Amino acid sequence: MFQRRRARLLLALLVAAAIALVTIDFRSGEDGGLDRLRGVTTSVLRPIQDGVGVLVRPFSEGAGAIADLFAIRSQNRELRDRVAELEERRRVFDDLERENAELRALLSLADRTELETVAARVIALAPSNFEWTVTIDVGARDGVERGMPVVEGDGLVGRVIQVTPDASRVLLAIDPSFSAAARSARNGEVGLLDGRGGDPMVFRALDPAAQVEIGDAVTTSSYQGGVFPAGIPIGTVSQVTEGSSPLTREVQVNPYVDFTRLQHVLVVFSTGIDDIPPFEGSEGLEFRRPPVPPLLEPEEEPTTPGSGDGDDAGDEAGDEAGGEAGDGADAGDETGGGADAGEGEEPADQAAGAGQGEARGARAQAHPGHDPPIAAPGSQPPVTGT
Amino acid sequence: MIARALVVALLLLAAVVLETALFGALTLFGFRPDLLLLVTATIATRDGPLAGVRVGAVAGLLADLLVSSSPVGLGVLVYGVVGALVGWSRPYFAPTSVTAPLLLVAAASVLGTAGYGVLTSLLADQRIGAPLILQGAIAVGLYNTLLAPLVAVVVRRLSDAFPLRGAGVE
Repeated sequence: MFQRRRARLLLALLVAAAIALVTIDFRSGEDGGLDRLRGVTTSVLRPIQDGVGVLVRPFSEGAGAIADLFAIRSQNRELRDRVAELEERRRVFDDLERENAELRALLSLADRTELETVAARVIALAPSNFEWTVTIDVGARDGVERGMPVVEGDGLVGRVIQVTPDASRVLLAIDPSFSAAARSARNGEVGLLDGRGGDPMVFRALDPAAQVEIGDAVTTSSYQGGVFPAGIPIGTVSQVTEGSSPLTREVQVNPYVDFTRLQHVLVVFSTGIDDIPPFEGSEGLEFRRPPVPPLLEPEEEPTTPGSGDGDDAGDEAGDEAGGEAGDGADAGDETGGGADAGEGEEPADQAAGAGQGEARGARAQAHPGHDPPIAAPGSQPPVTGT
Repeated sequence: MIARALVVALLLLAAVVLETALFGALTLFGFRPDLLLLVTATIATRDGPLAGVRVGAVAGLLADLLVSSSPVGLGVLVYGVVGALVGWSRPYFAPTSVTAPLLLVAAASVLGTAGYGVLTSLLADQRIGAPLILQGAIAVGLYNTLLAPLVAVVVRRLSDAFPLRGAGVE
């Protein structure tokens, strides 16, 4: 009875302490005291986990191999079919590679740079069944930073979420909180790849009408300056659901990486590709509204051909040039015509200058012989001399 | 008492190291056993709610410090509550029963995993859905039940060698 009362009291204290800890952890953010305590715990346990891992790994692999025996027969048949298919593809691939090299040379594209990486050994997994993370044996001393991508020979593994001096924690790509920009390797459809806590992952193509088929390879994309370098293989499409969402197309992706057998990984030092400016030297440019011709021009005095002096005609012609040459600088004929209507001597650009359209008139003159502009609805016809 | 505390701490450490280093490749439906929860439930079954709360709190804190996405305190809360509940329900089962402790451990594993999953979903990662939590709770419950006899032997020997003394004993 006494123990029950004490247990109740202790439990009440424990609940209060737990709520306080959760609150402190939420408020302290990513670099708070509790996060540092996590780092210390990871560092302290790392050598123990490392040593035990070396000792027990043969046993776990042996047990895993026994479990795999049942699947090996069917897997072997699938792999034989796959080899035949890949052999066929390889023949096409040689030709595509040559064509790709030629096209790259034509477009002056730089060859894709090799990724700068550091090799790491997987030491341990997270103790929680609702967090898919692993601890690796490289840390800040090896140049690892939070957010760096982690890959394996088969493809994308995840990204670094915690760094201590000699160990790091990696959020696996199958974790529900993992998300990465991805694209279909076959047709380049871009979208987002989300983990689901195991196989398979979900690829949400941004285009709801995207043509994604079973067997399509999915790779990372540097879309909108994503964290991951483009082109890291992720997996293949295993299931396509019709009409899953009105805004996106959802497909299931089987990852290439076997997340239960991770042993060695590579931490990628290369950061995501920066946003590329639309064209060279465009970084400092400001947006300017393009000159748009008015749909309705103000009513003007009707002009009788040949009447009035040349200056007036020149003014009008200048106005015309100012008003209409703006969109395409095609008013050369018009301004010239207006000048001729006056004195027949005035150069076209002078007439245009008188009508406050000097620059435009000059541009108009620079393109002689263009088609006459299309008059805006309701505008007066151009004045022409006789 | 200090010796017992040290031995229990070592047992928890061994549990977490085995869970993170050994069981990565030995999953059941993609899930690993929760050895910390299993040790907590087994000790609570044998030694009562007070020991269950204490061990649960330490096991939960250890789990919290080794994960990144869930806030610290979540494991303390869940494992502590599971330890207390198992300890309190112990008198309602026959002391000589073999199946009762197994059922208790299974129920504690399902409840603890589901509770941890729900709280993680609410406080840390909303993308952990009900199907995943249910699947995890069942898988961990099964796995822990399979391993329970082995852990029960270790805990019984430990309790025999370092028995609880003083006011905490029923």
